[in-house]
Amino acid sequence: MVVKLHLNPKGYFTKKSIKEKSVKTILFISAIFAVIVIFSIIFFLFRDAYPIFLKAGIWQFLAGMRWNPTGLPPLYGALPLIVGTLLVTIGAMVIAIPLSLCSAIFIAEIATPRMKAIIKPAIELLAGIPSVVYGFFGLIVLTTWLRVSFNLPTGESWLAGSILLGIMAIPTITSVAEDAISSVPREYKEGSLAVGATRWQTISKVIVPSALSGITAAIILGIGRAIGETMAVMMVCGNPTYGLIPQPITNVFAPIKTLTATLGIEMGEVASGSDHFHALFGLALILLIITLVVNVIATMILGRLKEKQHAASKKKILLPFKIQEKIKKSFYLLVGIIVVWLLFISVGLLLTISILVIIVVAYYLTRKITAKTMQRIAFGTIALAIITVIIILSIILVYIVSNGAGALSWDFITTGPSNVGRSGGIFPAIVGTLYLVAGAIAIALPLGVGAAIYLNEYTREGKLTKIIRAGADLLNGTPSIVFGLFGFAFLVLYLKMGISLIAGQLTLSFMILPTIIRTTEEALKSVPQSLREGSFALGATKWQTIKKVVLPPAAPGILTGAILGIGRAAGETAPIMFTAVVFSNYIPQSVFQPVNALPYHLFTLATSINGSKQNQAGTALVLLILVICFYLIAILLRNRYRKTMKW
Amino acid sequence: MIIGLIGIILLSTTLLSGCTQKQEGLSIVLIGRDSTSGTRVYFSERVMNNENFSQNVLDKSSNGAVQQTVAQTPGAIGYVGLGYVDSTVKALKINNITASVENVLAGTYPISRDLYMFTKGEAAGAAKEFIEYIQSTEGQAIVQEQGFVPLPNSAPYNSSGKTFSGTLTVSGSTTVLPIADEAATNFKAIYPGLTVTVSGGGSGAGITAVSGGQADIGMSSRDLQPSENNLGLVRYTIAKDGIAIIVNPENTYVDGLTIAQVKAIYKGEITNWKDLSK
Repeated sequence: MVVKLHLNPKGYFTKKSIKEKSVKTILFISAIFAVIVIFSIIFFLFRDAYPIFLKAGIWQFLAGMRWNPTGLPPLYGALPLIVGTLLVTIGAMVIAIPLSLCSAIFIAEIATPRMKAIIKPAIELLAGIPSVVYGFFGLIVLTTWLRVSFNLPTGESWLAGSILLGIMAIPTITSVAEDAISSVPREYKEGSLAVGATRWQTISKVIVPSALSGITAAIILGIGRAIGETMAVMMVCGNPTYGLIPQPITNVFAPIKTLTATLGIEMGEVASGSDHFHALFGLALILLIITLVVNVIATMILGRLKEKQHAASKKKILLPFKIQEKIKKSFYLLVGIIVVWLLFISVGLLLTISILVIIVVAYYLTRKITAKTMQRIAFGTIALAIITVIIILSIILVYIVSNGAGALSWDFITTGPSNVGRSGGIFPAIVGTLYLVAGAIAIALPLGVGAAIYLNEYTREGKLTKIIRAGADLLNGTPSIVFGLFGFAFLVLYLKMGISLIAGQLTLSFMILPTIIRTTEEALKSVPQSLREGSFALGATKWQTIKKVVLPPAAPGILTGAILGIGRAAGETAPIMFTAVVFSNYIPQSVFQPVNALPYHLFTLATSINGSKQNQAGTALVLLILVICFYLIAILLRNRYRKTMKW
Repeated sequence: MIIGLIGIILLSTTLLSGCTQKQEGLSIVLIGRDSTSGTRVYFSERVMNNENFSQNVLDKSSNGAVQQTVAQTPGAIGYVGLGYVDSTVKALKINNITASVENVLAGTYPISRDLYMFTKGEAAGAAKEFIEYIQSTEGQAIVQEQGFVPLPNSAPYNSSGKTFSGTLTVSGSTTVLPIADEAATNFKAIYPGLTVTVSGGGSGAGITAVSGGQADIGMSSRDLQPSENNLGLVRYTIAKDGIAIIVNPENTYVDGLTIAQVKAIYKGEITNWKDLSK
């Protein structure tokens, strides 16, 4: 009896705990959603790629030298495409790595706070320029410039793709590398300066080496981004029809065909269910595996970095350091040998020897230079690099704005296209883009926030969180065109949604989910533990605490993530190209109808509609303004938030 | 730093070596369409006799992209639908016949093909009516206006006593898109109660859409392929399209070619325009 009396209040608690439990379950489901999506992507790609592996044989598929799926007999050799993807990426990194590292060092260590406040967001804005806008710029300006200045038959080449991809990878590498450099403990720097080292010596000998794993991860993330890029590469690389490995392999002026470009070009018209269709899924699978491997490496390096920061014990460093030295030396040796070999192939014996002599002489000369002069040279180089980046950004922006401004008018924004987009406006495309991003964010935001809350509030770090985080990371590294193919295979064909608004919204939401999870987690982490403890002490339940205490201060951070997601979704073409968009001039009345969208409208005008120059430039400008606005809002919000949130 | 330096040196030397490769005459830059394009399928059959192209042919994803690249590149040659020929490119005479609508109609211009619309099962209702409209004299006038070649023997369209309402969805080939788009505008004027939505996406996308029920009519510039034969689609020919062989206006080496020469060029047997000039 007495027990029962005590149970009465427990009845109240039970009801409450049911609520707590169901909340936890819902959050758990949203958390494992990312893992489910990545597995479904792999499953569906494999399901549609499998028939071609059976038919052509895996080895023939991977190592065949000719991609001719419509030939007699059809040939499915992906090797030239794989090599093409790797070469374009390597070229992009040769351009992007020096520029981004210099920018990162400049922003983190050299710039005055005022300069930093301008340059950092400017470089982050570069990340906001949609890939199709880069492609549009590359197609019209870059390829012509290359052709004229190097006297080539055509400017569409490996080099054009690498330059464009290099520019596109700069913001990714810069921002991650800058974070790594900034998080090097102050004491290291102060210690180095205190023993009389110059600023440059401190940067080159102390700060950069300590941030090396972060910088490596930044580079690998940049590589992942470059490998998966579709639209820009497709528009400037030339795409030789059977795939072509350049002859000789260092010939940067040779046209090249990548995995992504092949998918982007051929997917639109292929008959679904044919061998060719399956072969394209085979390519997507290869692409996904390459990017997954790259991203797993980056995640592992970043993970090790975190562990190192948490458990920075002095004893442990000694042994790895020696091994590190050895690895470093053998790595340099390897790179040296490869470079000498490449030089030998491309310019011949005599030039190779003279270049080597120059390098050796230059190396000994640098040893003679005083530390002060060295610093001046180094800072000069860095300044040159950052100026280059800013000039590149300005050229692209000025080109788009000056060409597009003429087309811009009230009518252009508020009326539909006529004469197949040559005249009239782009209203349906604007509305279509807004519908697409609104739907995508409505789906991704609850899932992403739920996942982040679950990861951050409900679990301790363990196997499960590791799996979920890995899932989100892998999803983050998945190329946008792979999302497109997955959406096409799963949503459009398997679930029979058809090419429709809803299929596009879902595809985009999968793509932006990891961004939202990550930014939300960051925002939750920045809420101090003491607030939660205070709330618990007052008797609030976990969910009450999260809802009333943790979420409100984290809201601006979550909002930033959401806006970044919107910006990314608005600018992407590849994921919606086969799932949602058609070139049309109507506004969909239901989610099961296809839509038009700004990036696709621009892509179609730029590549298919003859005599639409004016409207192309106008569409590019509107798209650029829209996306940049989202990014600008996100950056401003974040900066404000960082300033005001001091606990 | 050192790696970067070496990279820069490597890059600049290769660039320099590229610069010094000066050639006589004008190298031919081969521009073609992607392997799934209806235009390429036709070109491959008619001109190439299904033999392989040179591996240096650059794929473009649309007629417009081919036209634009040829307009930008002095040494380029490409093949596009007649509708895409304008002052920025030069259409070559083939076997001494000028590429024009008249010559395709007369049957003298040797490279022309059919354009299609597909419906699931026999066309009925508004879809049937729309296809009949395009095949009529009025519709074929639009075909000609958009730079394509009309069908012979079309009859005037008869709308008396017919009313339609609801929505008609047309989707597919970007080649056929301009015809359907113009026709839809006029068709809506005849039947005010009817909404017609026309969208591009590619021949394959159009066939997928019509067989999946998302579109009433699929437009295509190619015929059905073996894997699409069992979809239950019915084919309607709505126009003819001449394929023009285009070069850059700066190209002074040639004004016309024979089909055999075009084939030799696309096979990579002739690589410089100077080898073709008289």
